[in-house]
Amino acid sequence: MKKPEGRPAPSPRRRDLLKAAGGVLATAAFGAVPLRGYAADPVNIGALYPVTGSMAQIGVGCVAAAKLAVEMVNEAGGIKSLGGAKLNLVLSDVQSDTTVTRTETDRLITSNKLSAIHGCFASALTLIASEVCERAKVPIITGSSSDQLNKGRSFTFTPFARASQFAQAQLQMSKLISEKPKVAVIFENTAFGTATSNGLKEQAPGEGVEIVMFEPYSAGFTDASPLINKVKASGANALFSVSYLNDLILIVRTVKQVGLNIAINGGSGGFVIPDFYKNVGKLAEGLQGVAHWNHDMSDEAQKVNAEYKKRTGEFLFEYAGGLVAQTFMLADALERAASTDPVKVRDALLKLDIASGYAAMAPGGKVKFGEGGKNVYGRPIGVQWQNGDLASVFPKEDARAALIKS
Amino acid sequence: MLETIAQAVINGLLIGGIYALVSIGVTLIFGVVKIVNFAQGEFVMIGMYISFFLATQLGVDPIVSLLVTMPVLFCVGMLVQHFLIRRVLGLNDLPQIFLTFALSLLVLNLALMLLTANYRTVHTWYSDEALHFAGLYVPVAKLAAFVLAMVLSALLWVFLHTTDLGKAMRAASQNRDVAQLMGINPNRVFAVALGIALALAGAAGSLLMPFYPAYPMVGQVFVLMAFVAVVLGTLGNVVGALVASLLMGVAESLGIQFVGADSGLIVVFAMLLLTLAVRPSGLAGGRRR
Amino acid sequence: MRLKRLGGIALASVIALMLLLPLAVTSSFALDILIRVLLFSFIGTAWNLLGGYARQLSLGHAAFFGLGAYTSTLLQIDFGISPWIGMVAGGVVALAASLPIGWLCFRLRGPYFTIATIATAQVLMLIFLKFRDFAWGAEGTTIPNLGHAPLMMQFDGKAYYYYIALGLLALALAVTARIERSRVGYYLVAIGEDEDAAEAIGVNVPKVKRDIYMISAFLTALAGTFYTQYIYFIDPQTAFNFNVSIEAALVSIVGGVGTLWGPVIGTVLLETTSALLQSWLGNSVGGVQLTVYSLILMAVILWRPTGIMGFLTEWRARRAKAPPALAKAQA
Repeated sequence: MKKPEGRPAPSPRRRDLLKAAGGVLATAAFGAVPLRGYAADPVNIGALYPVTGSMAQIGVGCVAAAKLAVEMVNEAGGIKSLGGAKLNLVLSDVQSDTTVTRTETDRLITSNKLSAIHGCFASALTLIASEVCERAKVPIITGSSSDQLNKGRSFTFTPFARASQFAQAQLQMSKLISEKPKVAVIFENTAFGTATSNGLKEQAPGEGVEIVMFEPYSAGFTDASPLINKVKASGANALFSVSYLNDLILIVRTVKQVGLNIAINGGSGGFVIPDFYKNVGKLAEGLQGVAHWNHDMSDEAQKVNAEYKKRTGEFLFEYAGGLVAQTFMLADALERAASTDPVKVRDALLKLDIASGYAAMAPGGKVKFGEGGKNVYGRPIGVQWQNGDLASVFPKEDARAALIKS
Repeated sequence: MLETIAQAVINGLLIGGIYALVSIGVTLIFGVVKIVNFAQGEFVMIGMYISFFLATQLGVDPIVSLLVTMPVLFCVGMLVQHFLIRRVLGLNDLPQIFLTFALSLLVLNLALMLLTANYRTVHTWYSDEALHFAGLYVPVAKLAAFVLAMVLSALLWVFLHTTDLGKAMRAASQNRDVAQLMGINPNRVFAVALGIALALAGAAGSLLMPFYPAYPMVGQVFVLMAFVAVVLGTLGNVVGALVASLLMGVAESLGIQFVGADSGLIVVFAMLLLTLAVRPSGLAGGRRR
Repeated sequence: MRLKRLGGIALASVIALMLLLPLAVTSSFALDILIRVLLFSFIGTAWNLLGGYARQLSLGHAAFFGLGAYTSTLLQIDFGISPWIGMVAGGVVALAASLPIGWLCFRLRGPYFTIATIATAQVLMLIFLKFRDFAWGAEGTTIPNLGHAPLMMQFDGKAYYYYIALGLLALALAVTARIERSRVGYYLVAIGEDEDAAEAIGVNVPKVKRDIYMISAFLTALAGTFYTQYIYFIDPQTAFNFNVSIEAALVSIVGGVGTLWGPVIGTVLLETTSALLQSWLGNSVGGVQLTVYSLILMAVILWRPTGIMGFLTEWRARRAKAPPALAKAQA
């Protein structure tokens, strides 16, 4: 029995003040740049993340990164083709709840003149937000890996790896530790777990990996012992757990308790955030995962990581880092569209093709949107916990550190 | 195969001990005060948070913090009885059900507001340790919790059967009017019943901390199991609740093992619904309602 | 007599106001609140039939809400059937489901009936989470974007949804009013007061309970369909959400159980409080809404279990200067 609930808040009345401030700033900072004869209105970017509820830990980090990203864009001069217009972040807490997401997305769009939205990271929430954006014709860019987001939509953009790609990477990584990997797959029984695990099941034969156990479990369970018991009985030599943070903690600790010597690949989600290490400590060392973004990918990523670390005391994890890149992608689109009109921004996003700068912070260093809003260069990176931080270890082109075999 | 079953049974029994602590509290309140405490899980949650803060701020081991959580929650129980429960005694179902339900909502959401939804864990030196024998393993933290849960249950049983106050409670639970005629003060008895029940909930919370995270919604999981155990074990029957809890823990564990890892709850519910269909008065039968 | 005529005029003007409101209120945000109010008044009124009049306190109505939602969505996505038909089909499914559920749960009394209803809603959620093959499992699905398609219950403006919700509420109120005035209404109240006594005087208690459960389930399911069409999404956790069960009961209790307007008044109060809280505290602190709701519920239970309607009735009786005993009896 879960009991979250919530209602939307009315919009702030800061727009008038911002208009004036924006105008003054634009005039002062860009005296040399020929203005178009109007004060540069800020460009509204909506950001939807769960800051409360079961996904709060990731959401809070995302919001911090979102603010950092907007500051970075603004400090670099804002959107020059709009007279140096600053990005204005309009945040909303979706409370880890599907209904609230629906209402909040709606409210954000109708109460503010939004040019674009980024958000949600959680599959179920993003699907809803995307539905609302599609109907309202506002582009949404997201790090969520759900493959459903690329079907039948024209305003949804996903610059990072898809769930099916994550699955493939995970399978390939299992071959790094063993010639004949026998994998036990356990996954939480909500959208994230089922989507990713399906990908694993489908691709395992093609990758030459044998899946000896394939079990959904109740997210938020009290006791991982029966589950790990089953894993032990299956004779697997690798464990893939598709879980959010809290379950992962329980699982990892139980594996230790059972005395089970098994390689764990925690996939993505709760596995690749600082909180995981905080809770399981040394047990995390050597554990592998897959992420859609990591801070050691490029110099730009490291720079952002350093700044984020200064502000929050923790390293920049995948969703948070990813959305910094997304903010810059939006800035790039705005620059080319030279308009705040969401449809024009969407059109500009369709033509996005970059290979440098903060907007290109993605595995492989290139972003270009193809069919269904997918990044044609999108792929995940394999990561490993090393000394309390995440190091990219797979594939070879993206590895920044050697894989530690235990 | 045998090993797998044995391990599943062990796992089930261990967690069943915790369910027992929670469900005994619920059944005690129902037996004596005739009210279902929907908020029992939230008091487990409070016990967990108290232990958490004692552990992180003062370095007190969660199991040792029992010595704090139990008395504190005992007092809370008495306050709840005095200020809330007393007001709805003798009224019909609606106020009785929804008062404790509202209390449950209130405590849960206050915790959400004040403590945030983040999971808090305590890592003790024995959190990840386990005893290994005959190819089976028994996690130390859970074993300690189970043993203490049984000890507390035994102490409760002794209290109910040997002390005057305990006997008064049993009398009031069997027949309130006659008990009153015999000079037993119902309010005092109720207050103690609430106190004990909540103390047990607090104990459950402390015992859970070494191996389970604290977060506002955690009580919900345990209270659901508790309710099923109470119905199964016959309403008001303390021993019944204990046995039923252990059975349910084992059933859940076996269900996860052999039906599917996401089927633990379904198995438990199936047990509940089956009992309702076949023997609504529970395994010990015979009691009204 | 004068009060009755005033009441009639008041009612007529309220109806007129409600019908014209979307013409004046164009803010999408405000319409959303209104729709929410109408929808939960509707769900509360449906709950009230069983829980308010007959005092069978179910906290598992989400089961019917979800069944309605899934039935219409399955029919729409798998067979292309319009949700208008799907809505009715969902109602029928829920009605049918209420038979075995009722058979099982009515075996228990009081709080254990309540727990059993909670359990059934949970079991349904677990089933829908597990069986991916017939209903998308945990991932759920979105409603395909058809733009403006009135025949498929999709509209590009909130006002349409408003009118549908209003219509649903009117339906539930009409049903309730009709039942209240009929013999069944008396039976319900008798059962609510004392089930055994009712049986003793010859009321066919099991049949009445079963019948009212069917009606309550049918109506609740309609809400499920509407809601899914409104938020364009369905998954087991949203469809069988415990919150729906809670709010259905809450608004009725706060407004006044067993009264026609109780659930409506309760919803208006709670949702207004909610909106005010939002504007004062913003959106960032979780748990505030329910904390306040639970405090209101506690206050009502401790001081005025008959709810707002009960309070109004007593107040009116006192104003009419009826003798104290009569006033108490009317409350």
